[in-house]
Amino acid sequence: MNASSTTPSVTEVAQKQMKHTCEHHAECMKIIQAILDDEASEAEKDHFRENMDKCIPCIESYRLEKCIKDSLNNKIVKKPCPDSILNTIISKINS
Amino acid sequence: MLVAMSETLTTNEYTDDLRYEVFNREFMPHIDSMYNFAFRLTMDEDDANDLVQDTYLKAFRFISSFEQGTNAKAWLFRILKNSFINDYRKKSKEPSKVDYQEVETTYNSEEASDTTYTVDLRADAVQELIGDEVANALNALPVDFRTVIILCDIEGFTYEEMAKILDIPIGTVRSRLHRARNLLKEKLRSYASSMGYDS
Repeated sequence: MNASSTTPSVTEVAQKQMKHTCEHHAECMKIIQAILDDEASEAEKDHFRENMDKCIPCIESYRLEKCIKDSLNNKIVKKPCPDSILNTIISKINS
Repeated sequence: MLVAMSETLTTNEYTDDLRYEVFNREFMPHIDSMYNFAFRLTMDEDDANDLVQDTYLKAFRFISSFEQGTNAKAWLFRILKNSFINDYRKKSKEPSKVDYQEVETTYNSEEASDTTYTVDLRADAVQELIGDEVANALNALPVDFRTVIILCDIEGFTYEEMAKILDIPIGTVRSRLHRARNLLKEKLRSYASSMGYDS
């Protein structure tokens, strides 16, 4: 979108060719997770914005990581705390 | 109703009324999350019950060290995690498989091979899994790896809050989380393929 970036790696891929392999995938995985955790630095966000739509392994990894995170959050049943525990706590702190 | 008048409460001095008020207002709303955390740590209902009770009683007893306005949920989780380590882990029914330090060291030393590390697992396959299968995969992780995933992905703590709860630097939170997720993907993959979701 904006062409004001300066890193050479970005200009290299600027020809909009989809990459089928990612030579720094381990690094990208860390960025992808930081993005999904809402903990990415500005530099990581920039890298993500500039590269994510060009690299197939990264796009797939992003989908997978997001899907796992969502599954953990939505699918695992959260049990309510049993009333008996609640009652014991309340009676103990009141005694 | 508020207490901050005659006594200057710039310190953490709690009157009896305030202790109960803070306890009810700040601590009680987190009891379901605490129960689930306790259950996923101990994997045992009775132990989870005891752990939650102990934690809340400790929280009440030491309420004067809770600074109002700070994150009560993180404060409680930290107490629960410490109680778990001190009181429960030793007698845990979990087979004492691998020492955690050992696991982390092993993974650290394999940092180089991390570069080529990919698990053959597709998002579609994960989508097909039901909650119990995801929970089983999570439960199969060593407890310290399980913990970071619970805190981050289920409870939504920030890295900074996790660092405080676990008493580790933020960098360690990041790397432990990264490794935990790689392990989880392996577990999920074996579930997915045993269910025939993966081609």
